[in-house]
Amino acid sequence: MSRMKELQKNLFGGTTSNARQFGMIFTLVAIIVFFQIQTGGLTLQSGNLIALTQQYAYISVLSIGMLMVIVAGHIDLSVGSVAAFVGIVVAKAVTEHDLPWPLGILLGLVVGALIGAWQGFWVAYVGIPAFIVTLAGMLLFRGGNQYIGNADTVPVPEGFRDIGAGYLPEVGPSTGYNNLTLLLGLLACAAVVWRELRARQVRTQMEGAEPAPLWIAVLRMVVMIAVIVFVTLRFAGGRVGTSFPISGIILAVLVLAYSFYTRNTAGGRHIYAVGGNARAAELSGVKLRRVNFFVMMNMSILAALAGMIFVARSAASGPQDGLSWELDAIAAVFIGGAAVSGGLGTIGGSIVGGLVMAVLNNGLQLTGTGSDMVQIIKGLFLLGAVALDVYNKKQGRFSIIGSLTRSNRSRHEAAAGESVEANVVKQPAARS
Amino acid sequence: MRRSFLIKSVAVGAAVALALTGCSNDREGTSSGDSGSGDAKGFAKDGLIGVALPSKTSENWVLAGDLFTNGLKEAGFKSDVQYAGASTTVADQQAQITAMVTKGAKVIVIGATDAAQLSTQVAAAHQAGAKVIAYDRLITNTPDVDYYIAFDNFKVGQMQGQALLDGMKAKKPTGPWTVELFSGSPDDNNAGVFFNGAMDVLKPAIDKGDVVVGSGQKDVKQTAIQGWKAEGAQSRMDSLLNSTYNGGKTLDGVLSPNDTLARAIITSVKGAGKPIPVVTGQDSEVESVKSIMAGEQYSTINKDTRKLVAETITMVKSLQAGTEPQVNDTKSYNNGSKVVPAYLLPPVIVTKATAAEAYANDPKLSALTK
Amino acid sequence: MSTAPPLLEMRSITKTFPGVKALSEVQLTVRDGEIHAICGENGAGKSTLMKVLSGVYPYGSYDGSIIYRGAEAKFADIRASENAGIVIIHQELALVPGMSITENIFLGNEPRRFGRIDWKAANSKALELMAMVGLKEDPDTLIKDIGVGKQQLVEIAKAFAKDVRLLILDEPTAALNENDSQHLLDLLRGFKERGITSIMISHKLNEIEAIADSITILRDGRTIETIDVKGEGADEDRIVRGMVGRDLGSRFPDHVPDIGEVFFEVRNWTIRHPISAERLVCKNSSFTVRRGEIVGFAGLMGAGRTELAMSLFGRSYGVYESGQIFKDGKEIQLKSVTDAIANGLAYVSEDRKAVGLNLLDDIKTSVVAAKLSKITRHGVLDEAAEYRQAEAYRKSLRIKTPTVDEGVTKLSGGNQQKVVLAKWMFTDPDLLILDEPTRGIDVGAKYEIYGIIQELASEGRGVVVISSELPELIGLCDRIYTVFEGAITGEISRRDANPETLMKQMTSTKKLATS
Repeated sequence: MSRMKELQKNLFGGTTSNARQFGMIFTLVAIIVFFQIQTGGLTLQSGNLIALTQQYAYISVLSIGMLMVIVAGHIDLSVGSVAAFVGIVVAKAVTEHDLPWPLGILLGLVVGALIGAWQGFWVAYVGIPAFIVTLAGMLLFRGGNQYIGNADTVPVPEGFRDIGAGYLPEVGPSTGYNNLTLLLGLLACAAVVWRELRARQVRTQMEGAEPAPLWIAVLRMVVMIAVIVFVTLRFAGGRVGTSFPISGIILAVLVLAYSFYTRNTAGGRHIYAVGGNARAAELSGVKLRRVNFFVMMNMSILAALAGMIFVARSAASGPQDGLSWELDAIAAVFIGGAAVSGGLGTIGGSIVGGLVMAVLNNGLQLTGTGSDMVQIIKGLFLLGAVALDVYNKKQGRFSIIGSLTRSNRSRHEAAAGESVEANVVKQPAARS
Repeated sequence: MRRSFLIKSVAVGAAVALALTGCSNDREGTSSGDSGSGDAKGFAKDGLIGVALPSKTSENWVLAGDLFTNGLKEAGFKSDVQYAGASTTVADQQAQITAMVTKGAKVIVIGATDAAQLSTQVAAAHQAGAKVIAYDRLITNTPDVDYYIAFDNFKVGQMQGQALLDGMKAKKPTGPWTVELFSGSPDDNNAGVFFNGAMDVLKPAIDKGDVVVGSGQKDVKQTAIQGWKAEGAQSRMDSLLNSTYNGGKTLDGVLSPNDTLARAIITSVKGAGKPIPVVTGQDSEVESVKSIMAGEQYSTINKDTRKLVAETITMVKSLQAGTEPQVNDTKSYNNGSKVVPAYLLPPVIVTKATAAEAYANDPKLSALTK
Repeated sequence: MSTAPPLLEMRSITKTFPGVKALSEVQLTVRDGEIHAICGENGAGKSTLMKVLSGVYPYGSYDGSIIYRGAEAKFADIRASENAGIVIIHQELALVPGMSITENIFLGNEPRRFGRIDWKAANSKALELMAMVGLKEDPDTLIKDIGVGKQQLVEIAKAFAKDVRLLILDEPTAALNENDSQHLLDLLRGFKERGITSIMISHKLNEIEAIADSITILRDGRTIETIDVKGEGADEDRIVRGMVGRDLGSRFPDHVPDIGEVFFEVRNWTIRHPISAERLVCKNSSFTVRRGEIVGFAGLMGAGRTELAMSLFGRSYGVYESGQIFKDGKEIQLKSVTDAIANGLAYVSEDRKAVGLNLLDDIKTSVVAAKLSKITRHGVLDEAAEYRQAEAYRKSLRIKTPTVDEGVTKLSGGNQQKVVLAKWMFTDPDLLILDEPTRGIDVGAKYEIYGIIQELASEGRGVVVISSELPELIGLCDRIYTVFEGAITGEISRRDANPETLMKQMTSTKKLATS
């Protein structure tokens, strides 16, 4: 194995699946550098980074849920409508019915869970494809938003706005930076070091598996800590009154929690198993219906949260909330390396995928590109990113989204072996 | 392989280090100035002016964008004119305004897509020391709007109401006249103002019984057309024709808030094979002017975008010079947080009879009136 | 010997796939107007030979020549062979379930009139063809609404719509019940009288005896012999010997069975087909397994062995009708796969790629997939434990891979099968049901898999092996049940087992006395 490959394999976590995100992270860095030059340094300015975080926090929250839905082999088209529906319900409740806003957030999550249970029921227990169920949901809850809101824009109170537009407060001595943000950065650095040490420890417990070479571990730590320090100082050094946004903290907590869930628990494994081969999973004792119900329900809860974050940021719930969010979330997931056929993809990848689109969008806006061109460029980028990856994989080179082609390839192989049966209708009877 | 990798990683490390040391903390420079938005010191002559407009769905916004680009350039400013994307309008506009703030715009002119969902962004603009001008649509629920510039929209509504009455009288001298009412998008603050203006004129006639709303739908929620969408107006008109006017009842007039909707309404009536009633409009769109000259649509309003843009640029110039811009209404426009000083331009009603005169200065439209 | 010139002559056909010689110098001569049966075990090369004949493997991709109606045929694809009047009816029918009988008969071959489909002509022609095959149905009935037997007839009618000269039927009665099978055989006789030549691939010796004029036996991709039934008579023993005859000598590791008490028993197990509820897939099946015993299930394709196994494994197949399962003397209820695993059952599927493995997984994830609770500490997966477990199996089962981080697609068939075995060994089962455990695996790996199976039995577990390869069952199992059309037709101990007796019981309902 060459050094480069070793690096690819080890730099971002030490497993093959994470190595696939390596290329995407490279792309992200390239885009950032490109726009940093193009905009004369505006891209990495504190204010812009903070705005970016706020603008894409809600899309990233969605893409966490969407990743799990897509990994399980489904799709959810209703997230934008669900977000808008929950947004208007919560806005009405807190503004017109004087519900205290923390209870309003709770209400929103409960409504999201109920909607999720509704969709999950149809998908998991009745067996209607999620595409259809959520297409119906898209209409249903968009209409619900307009019915409840009378197509009005309903403002929300100050306290509520914090989850979308709020910042960490200024406390402690004047350091010229936001102290809490500095503290967060410090924690993140400590976490990186701890994780690295722990990973090495686990790896040494694995008999026969050699831990990554020390130079790689050190390099990885140095790079990550440098990035964290840089980002922390940027966020902490913004205009007084601004710092790391609350919505960013919500997102970070969700990313950590869901990454852990999908990687390190049996429940998470089951989602991948169902998406990879539902029949095999079933015969290994995975409860298919329960998994499908869970991913659909979870998606709607996250959509509810995303809707509330957006409403909070916009200070009001409006009839156009959530329009085409599902497309942004799905694009983020696929750019982040998930397979269209399910079974592959990571939360981290989806976040990086979302970031790539966000930085691209933001950079184009900063350079004064019109929204028509922005859409064209984003569309081409989405296609190009996936196509280049597929091409690289075919050439046997390192692949950005190796996962995607990997699934295609195995399916091709299977198809080639059965090419004759392919044009033959299978009899319902099992053969023995 | 190893060497090239090392070179790369050293390069990345160096870049990070440079970035860390090269960029200083933003807190020192602006923190003292950002709260003092009150002292009008002006700004550099070639300062950046941001213009955020809704999506390109109406001719007027496209025209306004072009006029801003050229006008600001002539006045010596740098400009950044943006339209919101067609599908994700609100979120897009929010991002665009934020980008303008980041780029250091001194004045941001906003034609809002949803007037109630921009308070976070205009607050950020204010904190960064930029002035905010609400163009055509008043931004609500925020103290962070400095000026409002628009045509007098209440007056527009009044003129539409009056034109509707005049038009029906001309066709059928005595009442009662049967009408239907349409209003604009409920998320557009102006839609209500137009409607209230029109009702200001129509209400007495309705109360007297001279004017009858055939379907009985008089509430702004019933008459609203989401997103100012033509297909929305057309389908509402279709269903009205199929219910209320199914029997032979004649429809004398339709209050339409703008030209796009007016043409959709006329299309619907034509489709049903009914005689075209008196239909009002607004915006002087090319197709509607043609329609008026052809005797179909009755009236439109000429809100000369050129004038509005020109006045906005005048306002920007005074802000640049550090003087207080001219306003003519400091009482009427309460956005829910404060009364926004407004500069209102008078609209002009246009019918077939007055078209030639009204569009004399407009090369494109005057050709149509000949 | 008849003097009629042969309709078809396949001379020295050799077909090689990467690494495998599927056909080697195969000879096949089919006379005009006869019914010619082709027999052979699974994997003997029957289907490959028919694919060569029908152009699925085009001219040039094989060696040898096909002489059809006196001239060399060089078919480029299926369409070319169909145009020459050769039609194959596959075991898996090529019908569109949501279309009507008429639409299916004329699919891709629609009668046209001025560019439009002439449905009137199509319907009347369809009725004519349906009468020929003895199918009484409304031609507008959808395919999914008629039974498998009738679907088979539609398929044959479809062949006649194409002006067939040589009809090839691949195991035509495998999925049919007694009546439908009988009807089909009568039909073939009728065709013969009309001068249509048929080739029938079949395992069922009673059927072959009943209708074939000639029988060609294939084994391991070679022609063993061709029997002229009229001249020499169909000797069942001779056919069976031809099909299975090979040296069983050293293909199995040495193993001294240590058989204990009966611990697992199934009584009167009856299962209905999941879609056509009137069909019983398992009929009143009862069997027992002892500790340390390897029990074989012999049967033909479609006999219901897999269905029996899967329905026992947490009702993963069919609709439960009746029957009981006892383990260690107590009745147990296995209503889901989870129940089955919890009660110490493991089922290794016959189709490794489709249902046995998640091909996206790496080796270690696959190994622990069926019992994640074993590596979970406080709700968190212990990756180090996962790795250690997988590594242990890699060593003990000799899975050939650099590390257990590799994806399972990178492994050979034999090593994949070892991973699947490891996955179920990891659940620490009392009873393992192995469905075709050596399908698609080379000889060396087979030997290793046999060793693993014997090892499992030596640990005191019960092992059930389902296989289509009789030598495998005879060499491996302590006791063999035979299955025919959903019913257990016999039980033979290792001492008495030989291919001929097994084959006889696998192909008829006649229950032989066991000694």
